[in-house]
Amino acid sequence: MQFVHTIAAAAATNSTWAPQTLAQRAADSAPHSLWLTAGYFLLAVVGVAALLSFLGMALIYIERKIAAHFQCRLGPTRVGPFGLFQTLADTLKLVFKEDFVPPKADRSLHMLAPFLALLVPVVLLALIPYSPNVQVADLNIGILFITAIGGFGVMGILIAGWSSNNKWSMIGAMRAGAQIISYELSATLALLVVVLFSGTMSLTGIVLSQQDGWWIWRGHAAGFVAFLIYVVASTAELNRTPFDIPEGESELTAGFHTEYSGLRFAFFFLAEFINMFTVSALTATLFLGGWMPFHVGDWAGFNAAMDTIPPGIWFLTKTSMVIFVIMWFRWTFPRLRVDQLMHLEWKVLLPLGFANLFVAAVVVLTELYPYPLAK
Amino acid sequence: MIHAIKVAQEERLFAGKSVSVAVITRGRPPGYLRVAFSAVAGLLRGLWLTLGYFWSPEAIVTRQYPENRATLQLTERFRGNLRFKFPNEKAQEDHAAFIEQLAHETQTHAHVAADLVREENETRWYHNCTGCGKCQEACPNASIKVFTRQGEILEDREVDRFVWRLDSCMFCNACVQACPWDAIEMTGGFENAVYDRRLLVYNLNRLAGPRINYIEEEENPEVRKRMVERRDRYGGQVPLNGFALPNLPPVPMPADSDSRAVDTDAQARLT
Amino acid sequence: MTVHVRTLDELLHAPLEADSELTTQEYLVNMGPQHPIAHGSLRVVVRLDGETVKEVIPVPGYVHRGVEKMCEHLNYRQVIPYTDRLDYLSAIMNNWAVAKTVETAAGIETSDRIEVIRTIMAELQRLQSHALWWGVTGMDLGAYTAFLYGFREREIIGEIFEETIGARLTMNYIQPGGLMYDIKPDFAAKVKKLLPYLQDCVEQYETLLSGNVIFQERLRNVGIVDGARAVALGCTGPVVRASGVPLDLRATEPYGAYGKVQFNVVVGSIGDCWDRYYVRLEEMRESIRIIQQLIDGIPEGPYSTIRYNVELTLPEGIHYGQVETARGAFGVLIASDGKQEIPYRLHFRSPNFNNLWVVTAISPGWRIADFISIQSSLDLVIPDIDR
Repeated sequence: MQFVHTIAAAAATNSTWAPQTLAQRAADSAPHSLWLTAGYFLLAVVGVAALLSFLGMALIYIERKIAAHFQCRLGPTRVGPFGLFQTLADTLKLVFKEDFVPPKADRSLHMLAPFLALLVPVVLLALIPYSPNVQVADLNIGILFITAIGGFGVMGILIAGWSSNNKWSMIGAMRAGAQIISYELSATLALLVVVLFSGTMSLTGIVLSQQDGWWIWRGHAAGFVAFLIYVVASTAELNRTPFDIPEGESELTAGFHTEYSGLRFAFFFLAEFINMFTVSALTATLFLGGWMPFHVGDWAGFNAAMDTIPPGIWFLTKTSMVIFVIMWFRWTFPRLRVDQLMHLEWKVLLPLGFANLFVAAVVVLTELYPYPLAK
Repeated sequence: MIHAIKVAQEERLFAGKSVSVAVITRGRPPGYLRVAFSAVAGLLRGLWLTLGYFWSPEAIVTRQYPENRATLQLTERFRGNLRFKFPNEKAQEDHAAFIEQLAHETQTHAHVAADLVREENETRWYHNCTGCGKCQEACPNASIKVFTRQGEILEDREVDRFVWRLDSCMFCNACVQACPWDAIEMTGGFENAVYDRRLLVYNLNRLAGPRINYIEEEENPEVRKRMVERRDRYGGQVPLNGFALPNLPPVPMPADSDSRAVDTDAQARLT
Repeated sequence: MTVHVRTLDELLHAPLEADSELTTQEYLVNMGPQHPIAHGSLRVVVRLDGETVKEVIPVPGYVHRGVEKMCEHLNYRQVIPYTDRLDYLSAIMNNWAVAKTVETAAGIETSDRIEVIRTIMAELQRLQSHALWWGVTGMDLGAYTAFLYGFREREIIGEIFEETIGARLTMNYIQPGGLMYDIKPDFAAKVKKLLPYLQDCVEQYETLLSGNVIFQERLRNVGIVDGARAVALGCTGPVVRASGVPLDLRATEPYGAYGKVQFNVVVGSIGDCWDRYYVRLEEMRESIRIIQQLIDGIPEGPYSTIRYNVELTLPEGIHYGQVETARGAFGVLIASDGKQEIPYRLHFRSPNFNNLWVVTAISPGWRIADFISIQSSLDLVIPDIDR
């Protein structure tokens, strides 16, 4: 089949970009200096850890501010300028709070669950191409890996709900399990559309394949529909309103993390926000071109002007836009009911996703792109 | 609207009466595509509405208390703390002017200057209360206790201590309404947090003595002075419903700018 | 029509049915007294089969303060501030119920001015109460933003109350023979300025929640209670009206200035959560209409026909009076011995207590999330249930 490697391969050879990951640099430097290799590894670990804590703080602050302004409020204003240190203060409070484990809970699992929940987004942080030269590792099976690891995230929630020995937690965990596993199907179908378009599973490859246009509009309706499906399905995977039934505050008090306090609760909280970031970053990477500047076909002047903006800024802007949309959803919509949630997935999104995949295949086979491919 | 909502007006007979009724009915569910379209449209309209608020900072309704203390406007009828009316306005104004001048001379703030005053004009605390006890009767939960005494000069009952328990008051305004003499009012005061509940028992009158007009009828300033006696702000009955806490130290009486003399009797009772 | 309600004891000791084939078992959970849906502290014990509600037993009493017993030691004026603390969202209307009962029993005349002001205040309070309820319903169903929008309107109406009455929640405004304070000269102008804004807000409510497909799906055809059953359970207010019974004391036995104004009793068609929701939204529009008709022609006169310190003694016998609050009929039953200034016995017929038992009748068979919809569509205020 000729089309499989067309775009990504063509883009990679024609590209003016020469992306390099940290893993690649480490591998390249290994023959010369092992210290340098170790340095790159250390940089990767420290970088991801720093990003994790920064994102946690920043996103929680941003969410609170955005929520406040949707609701005609001001949000945090007291701690630090514009309330910037509010999250820090909250974190400190959580650190010093008692880490309570219910007497009849499964102690070891109860303690383990928050780490499992946090593990997934942390691993995914390492795969995201933030900029041509800022990425920890680029796997040639990137999408497959993300889907596989992403599916593991539900384990933390299930274990948390199970081990808490609380009926609310249990209901929440079961809801979460059903919800996340169902919506993963749709999310994966949407991802497959992009894989089909770009002919590669590597995230950097996908970014490079969008050199002449982002898949959200270059892939005709199929790209746009896939984008919509992915945003909806990933919001559901994030357990955020309107799909927050596992936590469903007014129904299950706090759902699966009812029995968590202190730092372990903070981990769940952090995991939710980091998950939101990774999902938004993936959406930006797959459908909105990632760090790739906004290019239109062969408008050389326009494209050159766009190239002056650094790729990191492009990535950040796109990701923040997706994050804003997800927050916007949360602060506007009510919550779905469990069966309605399942209805939406199995009777609406999934058939739509399959049909969309078929359309995408037709688009790819007939090469019906808005303008000719970069050959 | 997914399902059209109609409100139809009609007359219905109910309980032997013709009642004008607005009936809410809903149309039949439209076709699948129509539902999908209007569902998305409805969601988008909601998003548009919230986005409108997001972009309009003038819509923010937050009031930043206590930063806005200086500009905080409570209405004139706001039912906050109960207090005595002190009708001798001239004395009040004189006192304020005096404190201001003192603050200016000593280069301090007014509240510091107020502490410096040793001998002050008692006439500004003349009140309207006759100690009739109507407020005490009107109070639904016994938050007011009026202690009267036999006056020496006028030889009549007069108010000795007017004790108001903020801790049980529900600000219903009954006392103010019941007062035939217009002696008390509810004010804008609402910042009442204290660490010791006993500090929530107030002595509202600053002077034990007769009503202001009886004092002002008296010409001799010496007699006038003898008609009244100082009362401290915190001089109530035994609070905490009679359960004094045995190991608690005496209440540290907040330095009251209006009186230097602490009511030792009251303090002894509190311990 | 009978509704069998098991006692809590029976429920807790009844064997939970086990499904032998799947080896699943029913389980009991406590919703409340500390639970977001408790809206205060109502405890509801729910028997669940997975997500499905099998049985619901409300266990009220966590806010029981013995208000009625306390009132037996208070004179009629002192009773009124206690009614503020029952259904605190309809404080003025509760005040009115006592005042109306005492006035009827003691034969106290009031003036047109008093009645018109009372009506305007009561309708403002109804608007305020419904605005808050709308927000809380939104929050219960997950739309947190709605909560703050609802509260915003509530506060704006609260400002009007604060200016006239001096309080925002516990009003103690309507008193036997009149009002606590006269309205201020600019009251009418301020209310008139407010009305178009409130109309706008109702439209926004429609956009944000009514028009939302998720919200509609959560409420439509959920928790249907038919008219006969609602009446049998003693429901009043929007709950019974949503079931198609035009029981509105403002229209059926007009008091205050309701006899003089044109307004519709809003009724639903099938009595599901959606009807209960929409009846309240329409009622907000009707309230605005009522105020619009009255605000221009407030007659002149005194704001009270009797002096405050006048002795109020009711003739011997049992006196009953009721008004339509935001949640239904609030009745006051006073047994007087004819000698004392205090009631011999007093009972409040609170709308929420009766409305509460609807959940036992209609919740079984629905899911947990529907139970939330049902309970928030009933608009319960817990202190009014427990008293």
